[in-house]
Amino acid sequence: MGGYGDVQMIDENGLRMDGRSPGDIRDITIETGVIPVADGSCRMTWGTNEAIVAVYGPMEAHPRKIQRQDRAVLDVAYNMAPFSTTDRMRPGFNRRSREISKVTKDALESVVLLELYPRSKIRVTIEIVSAEAGTRCVGLTAASVALADAGIPMTDLVVSVASGKINDVVVCDLNKEEDNYGEADLPMGIMPNSGELVFLQMDGNLSQEEFKQAWKYNMDAAQVVHGMMVEALKGGGPQ
Amino acid sequence: MTIPIVPKLLRAHLSELAVNDARIDGRSQWGGRNLEIAHSVLPRAEGSARVRMGDTIVLAGVKFQIMQPYPDRPNQGGLMCSADVRPIAGRNWEAGPPSPEAIELGRVVDRGIRESGCIDVDSLCIIPGEKAWQVILDLFAVSDDGNLFDAFALAGIAALRNAIVPAERFEVGEDYALPVSKTPIMCSYHKVGGRFVYDACSREELGGDERIHITLGDDDNVHSLQKGLKGIFSTEEFEEIMTNAQERTKELRKIVDSM
Repeated sequence: MGGYGDVQMIDENGLRMDGRSPGDIRDITIETGVIPVADGSCRMTWGTNEAIVAVYGPMEAHPRKIQRQDRAVLDVAYNMAPFSTTDRMRPGFNRRSREISKVTKDALESVVLLELYPRSKIRVTIEIVSAEAGTRCVGLTAASVALADAGIPMTDLVVSVASGKINDVVVCDLNKEEDNYGEADLPMGIMPNSGELVFLQMDGNLSQEEFKQAWKYNMDAAQVVHGMMVEALKGGGPQ
Repeated sequence: MTIPIVPKLLRAHLSELAVNDARIDGRSQWGGRNLEIAHSVLPRAEGSARVRMGDTIVLAGVKFQIMQPYPDRPNQGGLMCSADVRPIAGRNWEAGPPSPEAIELGRVVDRGIRESGCIDVDSLCIIPGEKAWQVILDLFAVSDDGNLFDAFALAGIAALRNAIVPAERFEVGEDYALPVSKTPIMCSYHKVGGRFVYDACSREELGGDERIHITLGDDDNVHSLQKGLKGIFSTEEFEEIMTNAQERTKELRKIVDSM
């Protein structure tokens, strides 16, 4: 959080710089089957974020020492392409991408029925080719769609959304400026059918009331995004 | 990249097809796959392109940085081209530092673009000896079904031709289109079943031998050549593919120039 509370980002009508109301999310498109050589894939745009996810597997897990006798191992990698940001991103892993890979893996392991595929590996590769704000949410959401596209059994999809606070107003789905100058950020990973959580992070400063509002915005947005994910998986989305 | 087990059956099948002048996906010896090129597809890049050749899909993004010119060339900017094939592009590509295959891809594409002189490095100078533009072309594979070389080269030149120098953001003047004076085009040939074919798919790569990459400029001038993988070829074989490359690069250049 930049914490520059003096930047005016809510106008007198209560609208945000991009014209959204506090509870509105950005435009979203979801496509499946975008990588012909993968077992499952998803391309998701969310505002000017764009994530491409490939799923390969279940396949042989090697080296053998990573195999688990009772379940499949999930290999999750989150990466930002060098041209995905305003200033070029140096290729390769960094601490941030390693952490996001880990929490995304923890979230997906909670829904994928890994015990159905002992001794095998399922590889999930999340590539952010255009970043605005909230790339971890787009990556996780798109990864769950790609896993479903690969036909991998899961207890539920995962919808990830973040809410936060700008100019003391709680808003849903922060864009780039709001993320840079906002006062809080609360990304969550939600199982839309049960309303349970598999992913949670937060940084910034929220009162108990603000926190409850942000939580509710995320829960409500998850239902909206879930509808689009199901449509895309049914083949109703753009081809 | 893990070493795929080359099935002897596939090699035998490809040889049989070659005798009958056929290919595994029904193309002729010099036939290319369906080609789609789109530019300005990445909102954060100053220039970008997406190329699809059959089931091979790649992205190219151009970014700019300000560099200090090298002491021996105070009036020149720089061009850097790098390719990365990450695990997203296929089950045989693995995470980690760029593999020798990915480095070869980046360097061969880089040579074709650099040596054609399509980007005038003198024009990239802002203040001699102090500030110059570094143009960075990043090539990114989304789906690898063979011949990433040609897809990368095509996406690379298409992205450069549509790039805008972000001078306003760096507070060194007004934005302007990056001057790109030529259109170098690469054509790649793979020895499959004992003869060279154009634009090999992944099964042909798996069951084939050596490959040759030719980059030709606007006047058919040769700008870069590369022979890769194990195999032996004759002068006659090379002349045959060079003749084909002259025709094919003209067709592709027309497409890129009209974008």
